[in-house]
Amino acid sequence: MRRRPGWLRVGPATVLTLTVAVGALIAFGLRAPATPDPGEATAVAGRPAPALSGATLDGGRFALSDARGQVVLVNVFASWCGPCRDELPLLVDAERSWSPRGVRLVGLNIRDGADAVRALLDETGATGLTVVPDPDGTRAVEWGVRGVPETFVVGRDGRLVDRRQGVVTRQWLEQRVAPLLAG
Amino acid sequence: MRWRRALVALVLVTLAAAAGAALARSAGDPGRQDPVRAVSAGLRCPACQGESVADSRSPIAVAMRQVVADQLAQGRDPTEIRRWFVQRYGADVLTDPPARGVRLLLWGVPVLTLLAGGYAALRTLRPGAARTGSAAPWTPDARGARRAWRVASVGVVALVASVAIVADRLDPLTRPAPADPVAVALQLAHDLETQQRYDAAAQMYQEALRDRPDDGVRLRLAFALLRAGDGAAAQRTARDVLAREPDSPDGLLVLGLAQRNSRSVEAGDTLRHFLAVAPAHPAAAEIRRLLVTGREPAGR
Repeated sequence: MRRRPGWLRVGPATVLTLTVAVGALIAFGLRAPATPDPGEATAVAGRPAPALSGATLDGGRFALSDARGQVVLVNVFASWCGPCRDELPLLVDAERSWSPRGVRLVGLNIRDGADAVRALLDETGATGLTVVPDPDGTRAVEWGVRGVPETFVVGRDGRLVDRRQGVVTRQWLEQRVAPLLAG
Repeated sequence: MRWRRALVALVLVTLAAAAGAALARSAGDPGRQDPVRAVSAGLRCPACQGESVADSRSPIAVAMRQVVADQLAQGRDPTEIRRWFVQRYGADVLTDPPARGVRLLLWGVPVLTLLAGGYAALRTLRPGAARTGSAAPWTPDARGARRAWRVASVGVVALVASVAIVADRLDPLTRPAPADPVAVALQLAHDLETQQRYDAAAQMYQEALRDRPDDGVRLRLAFALLRAGDGAAAQRTARDVLAREPDSPDGLLVLGLAQRNSRSVEAGDTLRHFLAVAPAHPAAAEIRRLLVTGREPAGR
């Protein structure tokens, strides 16, 4: 048998290497989650809270910068969002019981109408809530909001401490907000 | 063999032209006319699965489009706007995040494979290859290799073409069917009824009826009107249905109840007629009770 050219002899090795490489790549790709860990992408702790100020639903004014020294819960909500309706009473209740210890609740009401919000506040017993309307949703985007409901915790120093995507639970409030109230 | 070369050249030119056209179509389409669309097409909607901000109808995506428009109006350039979004949403907000690490490999390996395959094919098929190699160009060995290469390339082209065709066929199926406005109106009306907002529900039913006159919807409307307290309109609507279908149980039920509310003497007869045609109707037991306890129409 005649000698084969050099490339034909290295051929099988190349094909084998390439196959292993592609296989390894696919195996790696399958093992990695399709979307990156949401906690990583949405971690906000330590960042300065974006500005939030403006006229409130009841005609007053609110500025987050004036609330320095308080723990502020910024709840992004809308009357067209069912889960928001469910969690509002819990948040209002938390503010009521924690306000002596410096907790303030602010609603950032996105893409909504004034009448619809008032009706929602009446229904959920949240009539006293400070609501900053955000009719075109641009303030919420500035906060990096991904959906409603979403709740941000702003510490006494004006920095973000935590965020909750989706409905807030009593347990979450106890675990994430209560520890900030000491002192 | 001249025509063979011409054929190969023709196929190659056609493929290259098609690839160029496809690239131009997919790259050039978004927003040459609309810069807001161009920028938002590069942003991933954070509330959706695999949809860009340009395509999504979710409220957050609408708000993000507004932000893009505002910032463009302030004279910011697209790169700055993308950076602004990355600061708030992370690098994954970009539909086309910079290729790094494994992602780069994902692009690199297929390209390398194609190059290596092409090089190997060239070495086998080039007439000169025989001179440096073992087999004369037309020995059975070389012919076998050529045939294998050709079959393999035809196979690859067929595979790609069939995937392209099948993907195109499957695509329309994944798109949601456009919502039927009448069905939406009916669903809304039903929701309003469960919230006991019968006035609003009746309005929705009337809207649905304008688009699709249907006795089933008319009866729902009659019930909503009755519950909203508009007995006269409920009676009119029920009579409208009964004119076409004199033994409609629901028509008789609404008419009878409306007559009873307006203290009409015909109420008893209508409700007895209802019981006669639909003795097993869910409301029959209640109507029997009404007829027994309130023999005089609306006696209580």
